[in-house]
Amino acid sequence: MSLMKVLLSLMAIALLPLSSFASNLKDSASVGFNSYSDTGDVQVYSPTLSLFKKVSTHWMVGFKMRIDAITAASITNGANGGQVDVVTGASKSEDDLFDDVRYAPTAMVTYDDGDNTFTMGGYYSSEVDYEGKAIFGNYVRQLNEQNTALGIGVSQSFDIWKPVFDRALPKDNRNETKLDLSINQLITPKFSLQAVYSYMYSEGFLSSPYHYVPQNDIAKFENYPDKRTGQAVAFKGVYLLNRDNAMNFSYRYYTDDWDISSHTVNVEELHDFSRNFTSGLRLRYYTQTKSNFVKDVGTYTLNDKYFAVDYRMSAFDSYTIGIPIIHKMKDGDKVTASIDYYQTTDNDYIKQWYGVDNLQAIFTTLTYEFDY
Amino acid sequence: MKSLYFILGVVLFLSGCSEHLVRVMPYEKEYFAQDKMSLSPIGERAEQEGHIFLIREASAGGDSSFQGGCGCR
Repeated sequence: MSLMKVLLSLMAIALLPLSSFASNLKDSASVGFNSYSDTGDVQVYSPTLSLFKKVSTHWMVGFKMRIDAITAASITNGANGGQVDVVTGASKSEDDLFDDVRYAPTAMVTYDDGDNTFTMGGYYSSEVDYEGKAIFGNYVRQLNEQNTALGIGVSQSFDIWKPVFDRALPKDNRNETKLDLSINQLITPKFSLQAVYSYMYSEGFLSSPYHYVPQNDIAKFENYPDKRTGQAVAFKGVYLLNRDNAMNFSYRYYTDDWDISSHTVNVEELHDFSRNFTSGLRLRYYTQTKSNFVKDVGTYTLNDKYFAVDYRMSAFDSYTIGIPIIHKMKDGDKVTASIDYYQTTDNDYIKQWYGVDNLQAIFTTLTYEFDY
Repeated sequence: MKSLYFILGVVLFLSGCSEHLVRVMPYEKEYFAQDKMSLSPIGERAEQEGHIFLIREASAGGDSSFQGGCGCR
């Protein structure tokens, strides 16, 4: 309750001096197509659409739609995806092009008067075995002649598991609360910094209903603690090196009460090849420790309280390298594209579940943005 | 209550107690209008990879953006 009091007090104070400056809102839209493919036999193809419409000087409504067409989704049997899952009994229908299709619409409304921006909205996600619902709100207050921006964001999800086979879960819900506090500060005409603090709390059924311990002497599904509290702090910056080059960098530290902690570093250099064409290179490094309940492959016993076979509960590193592309058209429209290669380090649980030493993935985006 | 006082203090400080935080005049902000000077130069990539890293790694947060839930997590 104390956290809610802090939030309400902060928002009340920030909203008091609502002014009537000109807003930055505009009618805009975008269409896009994203893809993801990895060596764990997962492919996702995602058309996207967004539409934002001003309804008055200070108010705008928005709608975003994302469709994920997924093959080799969670209902397949790990490295033995072509076989019927011996535990769940689930298998892919021969007539289906995709294992699952996720529809994820988001609706939002935004108030903006130039110094205050408030957005609130709702999110819905529907899959064959999972239903996600969430509400979110975000407030940004510009200060110091718009050199400083304070932000606060809150979201609450109410998700429900619906396993594709007859399994009575200990709980079928997964609720997540997230609070973000941010501050942006212009340091010089060529340098700005941002700091973000995030608090996250999850409760409910937090493991997968399909993952099980593949040991001959144990027939157990994954079982995690039903509560998790995490915190993250991140620092981001962008610096103009010279007229045509800018450096974007970020660092994040994450920790939670499952004893997982991680460091993430991201660096991106962007170069203006012409007035209308910008591209560059991004590098990302991620490293995490293991949870306090995961054990080495093949060492679980029936007396264990928790079982984890998902590699994300173990220690590993990952690397990402990518190329971004931004092309501005003469009429103000914009085409953006990106391609990234992602790879984890070798991991025993990846090898056990996916049949490969590590996961390698390629993900792409292609988006056309325009004002109307 | 300590958290409340801390946040209130930060808000009051940033609200006008410090002229030192006005470091860039309006006429000096032209560079920040460029795509390459954005903290998220490609918004769609930021949204997609935020989702992917949430699925492929055990960490979250630090991005001040909303990510909805899905069964792949």
